[in-house]
Amino acid sequence: MEILNPDRLLTEDVLEIRGDGRAGGGLVLAMQSLAGLFIQDPSLHVQEWPFFSSARKGAAIRSFLRVSRKPITIACEVREPQISILSDAAAAHFVDFAEGVPRGGVFIINTHRSPEECAKHYKLSGKVLTIDGDGLGKKFLKLPIGNISIFAALIRSIPLLSSDTALKSLLENLKKRRLPESLQKANGELFKASLQDIHEGIFDYSTPSDHQVKEFDGYGALPLGAQSMLRLSRTNLTSNYARSGSRVVFTDPQVKCTGCAACIINCPENIIRFQPDESRGVLVTGADFGSYCKSCRECIESCPEKLFDEQPYEEKWDDIDTGTGQ
Amino acid sequence: MNFVETTEGAKYPEVIRLDKAKAAHKNLISERTQVEADGNTAAAYASLQMWRCMIYPGFPITPSTKWLEFISAKVASGAVGLKRIKLLEAEHAVADYMAGAAAACRDLIVSTATSSVGLDHMTETVRSLGASGLGNLLLVNVYRATANYPLCIEGDPSDTLAHRDDGWIQISCRGKQQIYDTMIQAPCIGMHKEVMTPVMPGYYGIKDSHRNGRLVLEPDCEIHEFQDRWIESCDKPGLINGDTAFGNCVTSKYFQGFKLGQKKRLENTFRVLEAIGKDFEKTFGRPGLSFFEKINWPSSGSPDLVLISMGPDMGTLENIIASECTRTSKRIAALVVRLLSPFPFDAYAKLLEGVKAVAVVNQAYHHSRGHLTLDISDALMRTNGAHPVLASFFAGLGGANVSQTTWQKIIDESLKDLAAGKSSVPYRFVHEGATL
Repeated sequence: MEILNPDRLLTEDVLEIRGDGRAGGGLVLAMQSLAGLFIQDPSLHVQEWPFFSSARKGAAIRSFLRVSRKPITIACEVREPQISILSDAAAAHFVDFAEGVPRGGVFIINTHRSPEECAKHYKLSGKVLTIDGDGLGKKFLKLPIGNISIFAALIRSIPLLSSDTALKSLLENLKKRRLPESLQKANGELFKASLQDIHEGIFDYSTPSDHQVKEFDGYGALPLGAQSMLRLSRTNLTSNYARSGSRVVFTDPQVKCTGCAACIINCPENIIRFQPDESRGVLVTGADFGSYCKSCRECIESCPEKLFDEQPYEEKWDDIDTGTGQ
Repeated sequence: MNFVETTEGAKYPEVIRLDKAKAAHKNLISERTQVEADGNTAAAYASLQMWRCMIYPGFPITPSTKWLEFISAKVASGAVGLKRIKLLEAEHAVADYMAGAAAACRDLIVSTATSSVGLDHMTETVRSLGASGLGNLLLVNVYRATANYPLCIEGDPSDTLAHRDDGWIQISCRGKQQIYDTMIQAPCIGMHKEVMTPVMPGYYGIKDSHRNGRLVLEPDCEIHEFQDRWIESCDKPGLINGDTAFGNCVTSKYFQGFKLGQKKRLENTFRVLEAIGKDFEKTFGRPGLSFFEKINWPSSGSPDLVLISMGPDMGTLENIIASECTRTSKRIAALVVRLLSPFPFDAYAKLLEGVKAVAVVNQAYHHSRGHLTLDISDALMRTNGAHPVLASFFAGLGGANVSQTTWQKIIDESLKDLAAGKSSVPYRFVHEGATL
């Protein structure tokens, strides 16, 4: 199996990259930073754009990038990328991130697992790079957000790009987005640490029937006028929009809840549980995190007693659809 | 105070000092520069670089929001001097604000951006503005599907196509460079004394509004020189420098006459647009405004099949058109619509004479065969000799992907119609290489 050479591809034809993640996870920023880096080379033609799905945090999103030394006129979605990114393990619930990637392609996955584990699980043939972006994000940014680590892995996978220039471009991009200076610095440190924490290997676990581009087979039976079930229904669980890698929890063993109701007011899903309380007005007892919490952190930010917190949560691979139909 | 009597009321030429307004402009770009930008940023850059454009009323709506955000950030940073942004409570208020601001000084440009139902919400005022004679209005329409059952944040031109009768000059763009270049040229048409009609440049939401790439920015001073060459001082009084009023009530005795005048002014775009486009090309070295873009047009003779549509998906066709000619052994060419309103029927008729088949790809919901199909059909009626076979398609609605296989299917179906001598169906929906 010959591993695709990104540098050769973009010189001879076009290098195509596709990322899968979830809204709010920073995938688009990672791809924009990469585009910004390519654009610095006047001999390269670049196009980068997102697909946002439904306009809400946690929804599945895709990001596309094409780069070539020849002018790019093609404008349709990237169907057979040479580099494929899975920036949020839970996105694999919705899509096959490896769909259409040719044998010998490059796979970048945000996970604490090893490249071999991922190659076996997702049935990948090619070069697999893994990085624990969420873990590093938590360490440097206090948030389980893996996009900077994904960006670092992209830089590693494309020999043409230098990490020093990449860091500079990233910081410029963050400045352009008006991030506070302290956060720009923390992201810079995160990028440098990420470069040291990438694991990679070459594996051959796919069969010819895996990850084939699916033919369009019609729209099926669509509901009249896009009428759909209520968001808070028994089957449409908004917790599916939560980030992977963590879950919000509520603990109040000493009954510190003051009854201020800030969490009740601010929770966009209306899932905070409470009971009437004579002295406090209301006493918060928990929330329906498992079904409807999308980890927006409003309760964590609004509780004056810090009774809500986000704790690590590991996606069970048994739950993840690899998209191979097996 | 000196004044000049005009048929629209007295005008006080000394009240507004345009030289001071121009001197107050702070250059954003001093030499030709390349930056990374998406379509919204490209449009915003152009809006900021014009000295005549000083006030930006707006209300955010996806996918046009970044236009407003970018301008807002530049204004807040002090990088653009005295320019001001005015965030209003809704789109209707934005359109009303634009009416007042544009009428206040007819030599300055007022610009905003909106999308989809945002444009719909402006309708009452936008229809008035189309007839107002205020050519100094620049409304950037970032195309987004208008139907909210279901809501879709992606780009299809159903919003702009629903506003064909509002009286504005509508120009469709593809790619960030064309967006930027169109913005620079647009006021030159709108404010031309023979046209005096507001302009609505547009581009596809997400597919172009959010697509990043390299953008060439021209120096402010060269943009000013170009625009000043075309924009003459308006001889009509405005609200600040004149005793005048807008939108008075008339009876049936006159209304039709006003509409005829409006239509004639709008149609003067045909004469002015190409001259401005040619001057732009001469000045900046990139293609200027035109009625349409030609792709793979033969240097002699007529193509067998011409595909007509608008927007960035034409780039995907452009990418495969040469190989499709080989695959099908036919001469295939394409036209990308640029000037939507007024629609240049005669220019299409002239070019399509001798063509055997025409396929029109519509990207917005329509009650009949498609907005563009009806326009092209009208144009084909004006061709001399045998009319080409006309095939109509829908693809890319709500920003749906228009892949290479979709274009191939459209070509194959059109050639089938050509072989049969007529189209077997009024229209076809095509997606991912399949007819639906």
